[in-house]
Amino acid sequence: MEGRVIVITSGKGGVGKTTATANIGAGLAVEGNRVVVIDMDIGLRNLDVVMGLENRIVFTVVDAVKGRCKIKQAVIKNRKIDNLYLIPASQSDNKDALTPEGVIKLCENLRKEFDFVLIDCPAGIEQGFVNSVSAADEAIVVCTPEVTSIRDADRVIGLLYSRGITPKLLINRIVPEMVAKGDMLSHRDVVEVLSIELVGLVPMDDQVVICTNNGVPLVTQKESKAGEAFWRVAMRINGHSNLPIEVPKGNRSFWDKIGFKLRKK
Amino acid sequence: MFNFFKKLSKNGQSKDTAKKRLQITLLYDKLEVSKDILDDLNRDIVEVISRYFEIDKNALTLDFRKANDERMSALVVNTPILGSKQKSRLA
Repeated sequence: MEGRVIVITSGKGGVGKTTATANIGAGLAVEGNRVVVIDMDIGLRNLDVVMGLENRIVFTVVDAVKGRCKIKQAVIKNRKIDNLYLIPASQSDNKDALTPEGVIKLCENLRKEFDFVLIDCPAGIEQGFVNSVSAADEAIVVCTPEVTSIRDADRVIGLLYSRGITPKLLINRIVPEMVAKGDMLSHRDVVEVLSIELVGLVPMDDQVVICTNNGVPLVTQKESKAGEAFWRVAMRINGHSNLPIEVPKGNRSFWDKIGFKLRKK
Repeated sequence: MFNFFKKLSKNGQSKDTAKKRLQITLLYDKLEVSKDILDDLNRDIVEVISRYFEIDKNALTLDFRKANDERMSALVVNTPILGSKQKSRLA
C-alpha cells in the first residue's frame, strides 16, 4: 500500500508548524509506521535542530529533487526513534530552487517506501507553500488562538480548498486559564470562525522549549501535556479517528477555584 | 481581594471583541468589500424595498452569515414592514 502525504501548514510563521511536524512524525513512528518528514523551508531550515539531527546533514531536499544525489542519500535516520527519518532543507539554495513538479515526483517515490510523508511547509503563501502543498493528499493547518494567526489560517484554508484538499485544524498554545477568564478565544470560537474540522488541541507547555533546547521529541516525555496532545493527534491520523479530542485543562489554584465557583452563581 | 472584585465586575471579555473583529475581517478579506460599499448596498436595498413596502429605514439591518454550505457566505437583510404600498401605487 502506498503511503499518505500530509502537509503541515499555517500561513503565519511561529505558530508551531515545525514542532507539530516533528512530534506528529515521532508519534506516528512510535506507533510502528515508517515515517519521513521533509523540511521545505529552503534557506531557513529548522526541523533538523528540533529533531536533534543538525550535525548529520550531508545532502538536502534540493539535492534529492534536482538529482544531485540519490533520494536515499538525503534521508537521515533518527537514531532515538526507530522508523523516523528526515529530509532536511537546504540552507544555501535559493527559495525558488524547487518546483511543484520536482516535489511531486520526490513524494511519489517516497510514498512507495514510507507509510507517512509529512511536509513541514514554510510560512507564507508563495512558492514554498505552493511546492509543499502540490504534493500533498491531506493537510493540517496549525493556528494559535490569536486574531493574527486565525486570519492567516483562514486564508490558507481557502487556498487548500481551491486545490481540492479539505484541511483539518490543530490549535496550538492554548492557555486554559486565559480561556476560562474569557481573555483567549476558546477552541469552539476558533472552530466556529473557521468552520473546519478539528484534529487536535495542544496546550501551551514549557516542555516545548526544553525539548527543542535538547533536540528530543516531546511525545516521548511522559510528563509533557503538549507531548500527550501531539501524540493523540498522531493516533487520530493513524486511523484512531474516534479518539476523543481532549480540551486542555489548566492547573487552577485554590483561590481561583473559589472565585470561579462564586462567579458561576 | 481587590483583584477578586475586579474579576467579578468585569463583564467585557476580550475574546468576544476578538471574535467579532475576526468575523468581520475575514468577511471583508473574502468578499473584498469595504464599509463604504456595504453602506451603499444598504442605501440601495432600502430604496428598492421602499418602492413596494412601507419600511422603517433605520431599522433595516444587513448581515453576513455563514451559509449552510460551509465555505459560502449569505447576505441576510432584516427589516420590519410597516405596511403595503399597493394602494398608493394604484391611486
